[in-house]
Amino acid sequence: CLFFFLSSWLPQMVPSRGSHWQSSLLTLRASLPMRAQPKKKKKVDPRREQAQKDRMKKKIKKLEKAAPEMIPIEDFVTPPKYLDNSRVRSLPPLSFEETERRVLLMKRWCLFKQKQDKAEKQAIQTLIAAQQEALKELRLESEELYQAAIRRDEGLFPFEREGPNYTPPLPGYDPPEGKCVDITKVYTQ
Amino acid sequence: ALVSCHRHYRSRPTHGIGRYKYLLPKEAPKKKRDRVQMKEIDVGTEHEYGDINIQMTSYDMCLVEHFAQYVHRLCNRLAVRVKESYAMPTKTNEVLFLEERGSKMQLDAVLTTHQRVVQISGLSSTFAPILLEAIQSNQPEGVHLLVKEHTEADFKSRLKSRPELEELLAQMS
Repeated sequence: CLFFFLSSWLPQMVPSRGSHWQSSLLTLRASLPMRAQPKKKKKVDPRREQAQKDRMKKKIKKLEKAAPEMIPIEDFVTPPKYLDNSRVRSLPPLSFEETERRVLLMKRWCLFKQKQDKAEKQAIQTLIAAQQEALKELRLESEELYQAAIRRDEGLFPFEREGPNYTPPLPGYDPPEGKCVDITKVYTQ
Repeated sequence: ALVSCHRHYRSRPTHGIGRYKYLLPKEAPKKKRDRVQMKEIDVGTEHEYGDINIQMTSYDMCLVEHFAQYVHRLCNRLAVRVKESYAMPTKTNEVLFLEERGSKMQLDAVLTTHQRVVQISGLSSTFAPILLEAIQSNQPEGVHLLVKEHTEADFKSRLKSRPELEELLAQMS
């Protein structure tokens, strides 16, 4: 009964210990009559936000003005270690027979490649001719089918094909576990 | 420009003889720093394909370069319009493998992937399979061929990324 006596003695201004002190403070403020003007920053807030937005828009405009750059391609830049001119290869002098052999080999190789190239061009020409003849015959057969054949094929692209391999995959090969880490240099503007 | 080394006096009838620059078509003045602008993407009609990208990828740079040159020359020879021929940025991969006895990953190799692109347009629908056949028959080992239509995303992948601009745009919206 002593505690109740103490609590009744204490003035109303001191927040009571029983409840959470924050909520009691708020109720205290609401209960107090507010006669002074509340110092709420109503006018400055929208202006500040507007100024912030304007600054951001300006920044965006400035960044957008700069033209987008292409990523530099490392393939076309020679690494500096190969620019050193001090290392020069010294080749032994070739004998006459060796040079003759090489020149004749080169000529035979050129002839072989020329024949190969001609055969390829001929093959393409025969393909085109056969296709044209087939389309002509088809046109004579039916106009509808010809029109459908002339149309472009939507399912053709994308077209993917892996190159041929030197050796087929080994049967029953157990590869070691590992992972691939991408360490490409990321360029930012 | 009016007077060359042999002076013709202005009152003579031979004044201005030898002028020809005014007959040439007007050239647009070249800006010092040309904006890297994307060329218009052709969609194509019913009988013709639009912009097509022939992308060649491989670990071996020489092979890929030579193959790209071959494809470009083949298109020139077969009167297929080559719009652009460029290289994509190189990708580097580090291959790590787990040792047999041990838990540490060991560096095996550093592989570089090279990609070359030949962009053609105006390919007719009847000629497309023949061209593909010719390219396929000469495809070297280890070169991965991909033929697809050109999109804006393909062009954007060649440009540098701008994280600040993207951040600000994200903040704005």
